[in-house]
Parts: sequence; structure tokens; C-alpha cells
Amino acid sequence: MTESELATVADEQEVLAEIADMLAQVLEDMELTATEVGMADTFHEDLGMESIDLVMLGNLLTERYGDKVNFAEFAAELDLEAIIALTVGDLVTYIVRRLGGEEH
Amino acid sequence: MPFVTANGARLHVQRLAAKSTEPEQPTVVFIHGLGWDSLASFYFTLGAPAASAGFHVVTYDLRGHGKSERPAQGYTLGDTVADLAGLLDELAITGPVHLVGNCFGGTVAFSFAHRYPERVASLVVIESEPATGAWSVKLRELLGNATDHLLHPDVLNWISENRGAHTARRSVAAGKIFTATTMASEIPRGPLLGEAELAAIGCPVLAIFGSESDLVQVADWLPRLLPSCKVAIIEGRDHSVLAEAPQSVRELMVPWINRHRPQHSAVGAPESEGEHTR
Repeated sequence: MTESELATVADEQEVLAEIADMLAQVLEDMELTATEVGMADTFHEDLGMESIDLVMLGNLLTERYGDKVNFAEFAAELDLEAIIALTVGDLVTYIVRRLGGEEH
Repeated sequence: MPFVTANGARLHVQRLAAKSTEPEQPTVVFIHGLGWDSLASFYFTLGAPAASAGFHVVTYDLRGHGKSERPAQGYTLGDTVADLAGLLDELAITGPVHLVGNCFGGTVAFSFAHRYPERVASLVVIESEPATGAWSVKLRELLGNATDHLLHPDVLNWISENRGAHTARRSVAAGKIFTATTMASEIPRGPLLGEAELAAIGCPVLAIFGSESDLVQVADWLPRLLPSCKVAIIEGRDHSVLAEAPQSVRELMVPWINRHRPQHSAVGAPESEGEHTR
């Protein structure tokens, strides 16, 4: 693995852990930890979230990462099936890409 | 957290700033539908594109819905219209706004435009009809059925098997709203709009329907009663046209709002009938 690939992996793990914390905030009654939320989990089916919960998650993402991370813009590019099938990993990839773009 | 207390209810609001450097940008307020619906239906479809087009975007959860407060009562159309007026007051939005409503949200938009003509620049209503007597009869039956049956295990099993677990979960959410509140009995009470009241709605109205929706027949009579109304029909789509074809709705909505900016009409912008860019 090259150094830059290693850096990407590290970023993804970090973002995943942070998203897990945010999910716990959004879904107060669900006791989620980083180990329980996986990249392949879908927000709707696996985590039982409604679209309105994703809006709240989007607020926390922008609070944490700034205006570069815009869930409303990200979702507007997806069709309905893609939003329903959206995984934690999709979101992590998007965030890492947006943050990477900022640095370059 | 993004909450505003309007007309005595704590409402969840999400705003997106216009991506434009021009000084006077129109404000677009999106109003979602009934039951399991929430501001997310617009936030994730037309919200960001509207902001990119240079509009200030306001989305909010109607009382009883999404993350807004769910009081036991206060759900007549009059209450809902008062909520929106209070919300605009709290947000210090004084100029005329463009209202974009889906399903019941469009019904709210018609009633708001009737009650506060000076606060509305134009309406875009998607799969909606105004609160006529016939609408009231239909809603009373529909919401009565939903309240009586939506939480019944046999009904939920059928929904789950035929429409999927996701729709079944949403049905439970809607059933809970209708049984926990007086929404189902209050909404059909109006106040209703008669022919004279409809004719008095002077702002431009764009009514969008899916060609396969039961509501498409509204397109036959609405422009007759509402001289300011134009109709657009999206082929091959049903009542879910916003969720399933947001791009088509967007291509109608953005030029419509641009054409009805107050400053544009002041300089005599030409009226174009070409709704689509191609």
C-alpha cells in the first residue's frame, strides 16, 4: 500500500467513527458505537432512519466539516432508489473526497 | 437546532442560502405533504438546485410532522396557514415569496395565497388541488380510513408484503400521527375556498401533475376557475412525481420562478412559454 492510500484509509476510518458518533446523536434511543456502524450499512433499511433523520445528520456534518460537505447537494445528484440504498460508506467516501478537494 | 416557534407551535426549519452574488434574490418556501411526509422530500430533491439557481430556500416541517411539535390539535387549514404566516414573520421575511407545495402542501399554498395575497409572488403546486368542497369530502374519507386502518396488523402486513418494509414503517408513522392528533377530522374543515375565492387568487400559479395520477383530472377544471393558472403534465409519472422525477419538476420550477421575480416583471421580461430548456 502506498503512503497516499494509507492516508485515505486512515481518513475513512476517522470519518466513519465521527459519523457513528453523529448517528448516535441523531438517533438518541439507539446505542450505536463505531464498531456497530459499518461502511456497508444502509441508512434506511439497516439503521432504520427516515429521510428527516438524514437531514439532521446533514446539519451535524456541515457543523463538523464546514460548507464543503453539503448533504442537500449530495442528495440532489442521486435518484430516489440511490437515496433509499445509500450506505454509510457512500457518505464517508463523499466526505473524504470533499475534504481532500479542499486541501488540494 | 433549527427551530422556530410560530403561531404557538415549535416548527423545524431548514434554510439554504442562495448561491448568487446578486442583491435581490427571491425566497422560495417549500411545503410538504401529509402523513409520513416531511421537509426532507424537498430538502433532498429541489432544495439544493433551487439554492444553486439563486433562490433563498426555506423548508419546514408542518406541525405534527417530521421534527416539528405535534400538538394534539390545531390542524385546520386555517391553523396551517397561520403557522406559515407566523414562520415568515419569525424569519423576518417580509417580501412576497414563491410557495412550492407538494400534494397537501399545494393545498396550503392555495389557501395562503387567498388569505395573504400580498405575501405571495407565485405558486408552484405539485399534484395538488385547492380546498374545495369536493376536496373536503375526499380528504375526510381518505384520512378517516387512514386513521381507522393504517395501524391494523393485517393492513400493515399487506403493505409490507406488497410495498416493502420501508413503506410499512412510513405507514406506521402516518398512522401514529393520525391517531395521536385530531388532524384527520380537522384538516377537511378548511376553511374551504368557493369559486369566487379561487377566482380571487391573483398570483401566477403553475400546477404540475403526473399523467398517470388520479389527480390529473384537476388539470381540466383548475385553469377555468383560476385564470392565473398554467398547467404542466409530466408524462408517465403518477402522484409520486416529485420523488421519482425531481429533475422534471426542477426544469419547470426554476424558469417559472425566474420569470415571476418582481424586478423582472418591472423591466418587462418577455413571457416565454417554453418550459423546458430543450
